[in-house]
Amino acid sequence: MKNSKMHLSTETMNLGFVRKVEALSGSSVRRCFQCGKCSAGCPMRTFMEHPPNRIVRLLQLGQYERVLAGRSIWYCASCETCSTRCPNKVDLAAIMDALRKLSWDADGPSKESLVQLANRLFIENIKTYGRQYEMRLAAAFNLRSGKLLKDFMLGPKLLTKGKLKMFHQKNRNISEIERIFSRIEEMRKKGEAP
Amino acid sequence: MPTKNLLNYSYYPGCSLHASAKEYDESTKGVFRALRIGLKEVPDWFCCGATPAHNVDELLSLSLCAKNLSLADNVEGDLAVACAACFSRLKTTQHKLAENDIKRKQVEIAIDGAISLEKPVKHLLEILAKDYGLDRLADAVKKPLTGLKVATYYGCLLTRPPEVPELDCVEAPTIMENVIAATGAEPVAWSHRLECCGANFTLSRPGVVLNLSNEILASAKRAGADCIMVACPLCHGNLDIRQREIEEANGTRYDMPVFYMTQLLGLAVGVPAGKLGLESMIVNPLPLLREKQLL
Repeated sequence: MKNSKMHLSTETMNLGFVRKVEALSGSSVRRCFQCGKCSAGCPMRTFMEHPPNRIVRLLQLGQYERVLAGRSIWYCASCETCSTRCPNKVDLAAIMDALRKLSWDADGPSKESLVQLANRLFIENIKTYGRQYEMRLAAAFNLRSGKLLKDFMLGPKLLTKGKLKMFHQKNRNISEIERIFSRIEEMRKKGEAP
Repeated sequence: MPTKNLLNYSYYPGCSLHASAKEYDESTKGVFRALRIGLKEVPDWFCCGATPAHNVDELLSLSLCAKNLSLADNVEGDLAVACAACFSRLKTTQHKLAENDIKRKQVEIAIDGAISLEKPVKHLLEILAKDYGLDRLADAVKKPLTGLKVATYYGCLLTRPPEVPELDCVEAPTIMENVIAATGAEPVAWSHRLECCGANFTLSRPGVVLNLSNEILASAKRAGADCIMVACPLCHGNLDIRQREIEEANGTRYDMPVFYMTQLLGLAVGVPAGKLGLESMIVNPLPLLREKQLL
């Protein structure tokens, strides 16, 4: 797909999507003139099928399916190097957040399931406990990803070093967190929040 | 009663400091006590949402941080934050809500309360270097870390993007070097102090971490560093906890102790070694510290 020929016409370009990304991210997509500084500084570019500057170019050309279908957006580490160095103040890190949200809301058209699983479990943990419990997070990840033996050798070492807590308390005001989640959901149902 | 504190802060430790980074919490409290800087933990704080929340749900991320900022208002003093990720999220929230009325209104509804953005959020580095001051810090040193070559590792979120943390120059910061130099240690010049360690891919795609963190360890070794100093639990996890794995994957050996900055500062200002969580480190730092006669 990445090298396949691209036919540009009003039928194949979805410019409404660009405006959506711009509204969500608060950053211009159209201001990019392809200097490539973002990709030059990106620590994750070797893991991506589309380096950051090409993602912006594909968006400009309305080719959002190509962007969302790949792994690239999920392999962004949010290190903010791109946004820091862009000469045109394109906030690429924020654009990546917006793309992930759009992909996420569409129930993950991307192939990259492991990063999405980790994100989902992390957020579920916050909703349930108010705080992050690393051991529970790692255990749930292994269970749900089928990688049961991932970091098997690390566990006992971390336990003896006291770095894994076996037990934990719920936050006393956990109901407040639950209410934040439900209020956000309500706003979205009414179309009052993205 | 102990003598009166010189400075007082509210304190947001973040989730890691209560588990995998407990030595960061312990050593932070030890150093601040020794310097007579008060830290009062914000009661019932929540997770800031870290990277996973803002990755897919900005409104959730902003709401969690806004809630924490309003909880912090109940405790006196600027908000001291130890974790680079929590620091970045809290500052980003202040920044975004101050400049975007639509997001601000949505967050107000989500947390069902007023949003307060006034309290300064400060990373420990800023408190030590700017509020407490490097001269005072140098005066507080009881055991100089002379002869210890330190690779100061900033990672991503202490400096980027420049308008958010406002901690130091974004491409050529010196705050970590200045702080550790105040103890008599020698910061080395090295290439990878601002490169990403692979961050939270440690859970989902550890191969990324084995790759990126290897570059960082190799760069520190090349520069002749005895150890790496960090100010972020995630960086520490990747460089210390995964170091053996990195060595195996790359067929090399680093034996590079990775200290939290407060562990090194603690040694210098006379916090007992037993109260710095040195035994929690995966790469054993004791041979190095003995060799340099710092124990």
